[in-house]
Amino acid sequence: MNATDRPMTPQEKQRWFEQYTAGMHRQGRLWLAWNLFLLLTLPFAMGLVLDTMPDLNVFWKGFFNVAIIYYPTSLVEYLIYVPMLGSGASYLSFITGNLSNLKIPCAVNAREMADARVGTPENEVISTLSVATSSLVTVLILALGVLLLQPLQPVLENPVLIPAFDNVVPALFGALGLKYFLKGKKFAAIPLVLSSAVCILVPALIRQTSVLLIVIGGLTIAVAWVFYRKGALENE
Amino acid sequence: MENEFLSRLNAPVLYALVGVVIASVAAMCVFFLVKSWRAGVKLGMDKAVLKKAVVSSATFTVLPAVSILLGVVALSGSLGIPLPWLRLSVIGNLQYEVNVAQIAATGIGLSGLKIAEMTPQAYVTIALVMTAGILGGALCCLFTLKAYTKKLGQKKPDAVHSTRKSFGDWAMIAMFVGMCAAYIGSYVGSAAQDSWLPLLTALAAAAVMALCEVLERKCAVRWLENFDLAVSMLAAMAAAVGLNQIL
Repeated sequence: MNATDRPMTPQEKQRWFEQYTAGMHRQGRLWLAWNLFLLLTLPFAMGLVLDTMPDLNVFWKGFFNVAIIYYPTSLVEYLIYVPMLGSGASYLSFITGNLSNLKIPCAVNAREMADARVGTPENEVISTLSVATSSLVTVLILALGVLLLQPLQPVLENPVLIPAFDNVVPALFGALGLKYFLKGKKFAAIPLVLSSAVCILVPALIRQTSVLLIVIGGLTIAVAWVFYRKGALENE
Repeated sequence: MENEFLSRLNAPVLYALVGVVIASVAAMCVFFLVKSWRAGVKLGMDKAVLKKAVVSSATFTVLPAVSILLGVVALSGSLGIPLPWLRLSVIGNLQYEVNVAQIAATGIGLSGLKIAEMTPQAYVTIALVMTAGILGGALCCLFTLKAYTKKLGQKKPDAVHSTRKSFGDWAMIAMFVGMCAAYIGSYVGSAAQDSWLPLLTALAAAAVMALCEVLERKCAVRWLENFDLAVSMLAAMAAAVGLNQIL
């Protein structure tokens, strides 16, 4: 048996794994930067096709409204999910999306099947395999689905369906609201009643949901903090 | 007019542009797949275990991916097909896309995510806001992942988890509760102004979701968990068409 065929000693394994993860970070950052570049330039490329360009003054206003909610959420997700995923799967997960509804449960499932422990080289390998496979399958299914949607395009563009597509946001928040109100049932009534009352009394706020989101979101976190401090959420 | 604009959003060239970006992200996945497979072999892991991880992940993904596809259908009437196809294939998720598109639309002066009010410039501006707004996690990876994983490596394996919910967990739940409350409050406000359709659509979605929850929890219909959000939304959107006729 020559030196390359024999199993690695734990020290060799550790040294090799350190080199592997260093390479993973280098390549992960390059791939990530390249794909972010493509994603950010796409709206401009679409603009060229549609004979227009994004309005950057308006963009900053919209971006602020979105970022104030989603950047803190992204940070929390990053801090929570990276320890579960390891480096390779993290680079993939944060560019391929659908984290909490697909990539995380998929990686956890694969890890449990392989009996790999969090923080080990084996977990790093299994999580990366899992997230890469899951992402490729998603891409494939969506591409096939979009192809199959082509014959349905005239149906989807039928004016009778306009109320359906105009109400996609209420449909989302009705469904999601039920799920989250059940999760936070001890404090959910407070923001719901308050928000409804404010919108009835000050109708101008109905069109300012981005402002309302920040105020009601902040208030709900404060209410949850009070409940948490009082120990009211311990058995939830 | 609306039809015409929607047709422009579904132009073949937009599919081609989106296809290039999706192909690039898919190439990244293939690269990492091959690299991690080789690493597993080098580490002496059983190839059967590696194969099982790949096969189980592929089968695990099928149902949620079909649900994600329904999300593309749900968004196709307001944003066309190529943009939702991109967003749900690679970086976004259904909850985020709908919400951010709505926030972006109101932020740039539209009354909501409505095709009747959309202009090409509004559309590409919304697309840019949606893209930039979701980059928090990716930017964290780009600039801090190496340092963060190094720090985590100093902890003992499995020491990073706790089963008890921290306030961080509750803050995340509270933020989403607040977000849903803000939207539903605005639909209550609209109903008080005689526009009942958004509130009734939200209630229809909640009713279908409640039914799904009962089936999942009481009748152990576990597969439904992958579909409940998309099914509830599509059912409520169908209800909106009928309710619009009545109202």
